[in-house]
Amino acid sequence: MSKLKGIYTDIVKIRRMVFAELARLALKDAECEEFDKIPYRIIDTEEATYRSSIFKERAIVAARVRMGLGMDYETNQEHKLLSEGIRDFLKNDNQLKEPLVNVIRFACEKCPTNAHFVTNNCRKCLAHPCSIVCPVDAITIEEHAAVIDQEKCINCGKCKEACPYEAIVNYERPCAAACGVDAIESDDYNRAQINQDKCVSCGQCIIACPFGAIADKSMIYQLLKSIKKGEDVRAIIAPSFVGQFGPLVSAEKIVTALKELGMKEVREVSLGADFASLHEAELFAEDIPEKQPYLGTSCCPSWTYVADKHVPEVKDNISESSSPMIFAAKSVKEDNQNSKVVFIGPCVSKKLEALSDKVKDEVDFVITFEELAAIFVAADIELTKVDAEEEIRDASYYGRAYANAGGVAEAIRQNLKVKYEIDPPITKADGLADCRKTLMKAKAGVLAGHLIEGMACEGGCVGGPGTLLATKRGAKYVDKFADESPYKFAFENENLNKNEPKE
Amino acid sequence: MVKVEICVGSHCSLVGALNILDTLEELQEEYPEQIEINRVECLDMCGDIKNAPVVKVDDDLITSAQTQMVISKVMERIK
Repeated sequence: MSKLKGIYTDIVKIRRMVFAELARLALKDAECEEFDKIPYRIIDTEEATYRSSIFKERAIVAARVRMGLGMDYETNQEHKLLSEGIRDFLKNDNQLKEPLVNVIRFACEKCPTNAHFVTNNCRKCLAHPCSIVCPVDAITIEEHAAVIDQEKCINCGKCKEACPYEAIVNYERPCAAACGVDAIESDDYNRAQINQDKCVSCGQCIIACPFGAIADKSMIYQLLKSIKKGEDVRAIIAPSFVGQFGPLVSAEKIVTALKELGMKEVREVSLGADFASLHEAELFAEDIPEKQPYLGTSCCPSWTYVADKHVPEVKDNISESSSPMIFAAKSVKEDNQNSKVVFIGPCVSKKLEALSDKVKDEVDFVITFEELAAIFVAADIELTKVDAEEEIRDASYYGRAYANAGGVAEAIRQNLKVKYEIDPPITKADGLADCRKTLMKAKAGVLAGHLIEGMACEGGCVGGPGTLLATKRGAKYVDKFADESPYKFAFENENLNKNEPKE
Repeated sequence: MVKVEICVGSHCSLVGALNILDTLEELQEEYPEQIEINRVECLDMCGDIKNAPVVKVDDDLITSAQTQMVISKVMERIK
């Protein structure tokens, strides 16, 4: 997990301020020219605070505004007002398109890539084991300290281990270190560049970059415009939502606040998780091991993209079951045919899942908890002061526990045990690097008969880049809310019969 | 005993109040007898979001609060 996850920095602040500004302008039906003012409203000092110049700071905010609206990243090679580009975009189809996660190139500080460095802890000792153990003779003892010849160094790390003074550090680009699928490369100017053939849009690099140079696109503006137009917008909210908006804001208050914002209805995505865990248990009972060697879960889109892009041989063994998001959205749309569904979650890659052919008619918008928190501020909805309505009881204990690592497999296992008398061996992949490793193992045939849960974010969905809480804290809220469910198992959930969507 | 009131309303939570609360609670574990934390509803001081987060350490009102600022005020009083 990136070291920056859960820490509130000025990068987080600026990102959220941009979201709040976009929401504010959407809600007041502002003219395009108003967007030109956002960089000045957010960077309102006279001198630079964060970077070499205030003009650069504002240009980066402008790039964030563009992507916040769902527009593509644009190199600054052509003279164009921010508002001109926005007018063209909004006049045309105003749809978010791939690539979802982008480097704001001029914000990238070109951190050196993976390398070993000698720090000033070096005492230029007589033994100098660093140079002795180096297999490629890359270390020389110079006037004041040991020096590593970066041309020769192969990053084996032997010197680091041998140094008695902890004087040698291994340094990685934070974005590349956070990427479990090695999708971050360098462009001709040595800036970080995302190889879109490898990227699975998990969004961890957005959190990890200490210069705030990576951003994803958002649908805040399109969602709010749809509500303003009077469309029948209904929300489905992912199980990790509890506690994300502060300790005094109960799940019920969040639901009421969403209705104040203009949503006609709010359903727990955990309801969809109950459908999904039953469906996956059925698939497992029918196909494993006779027709299929093992079953991978399907709820985390980045995990499924790892299979698609990195280990395509195992693709067919990832469950075909719809994700909880799709089940929940379908149940809403079957009850309300002309409605639009917004998925609210911790997840960046769900934005991409929603664009796919299978899902685009079911889910119309995807926003994160962080984006929603900014919308509440722009709409002046004070969450601690809304009156909570009736208790929420859409989903079972195990459906709600989907948000924590291990929760998906456990829910499916419980169904298998009770309904089919099967207790399968379980493998859990926690974090993107672990996802790839686990799929490689599956490909090698060592996970025969297993139920394999894949979570691209460490800790599960509560560790998602769109959360506001530290992962552990979010996990505790999820457990507590799961305990409050009136149903223990998915098959006990009375809402399933009345809402069963067609596959 | 240092009394800390921390606003956890919409504005303050968006701009870092939850993270200040995290750190405060960790500090409280070290000094359980000396720190009292009250999480409070919106104190109506954040009409301009630039004033958020709002934290009160005893009678000392802090606007645009940051973790290190709040913690050092609390520590001053403990010592």
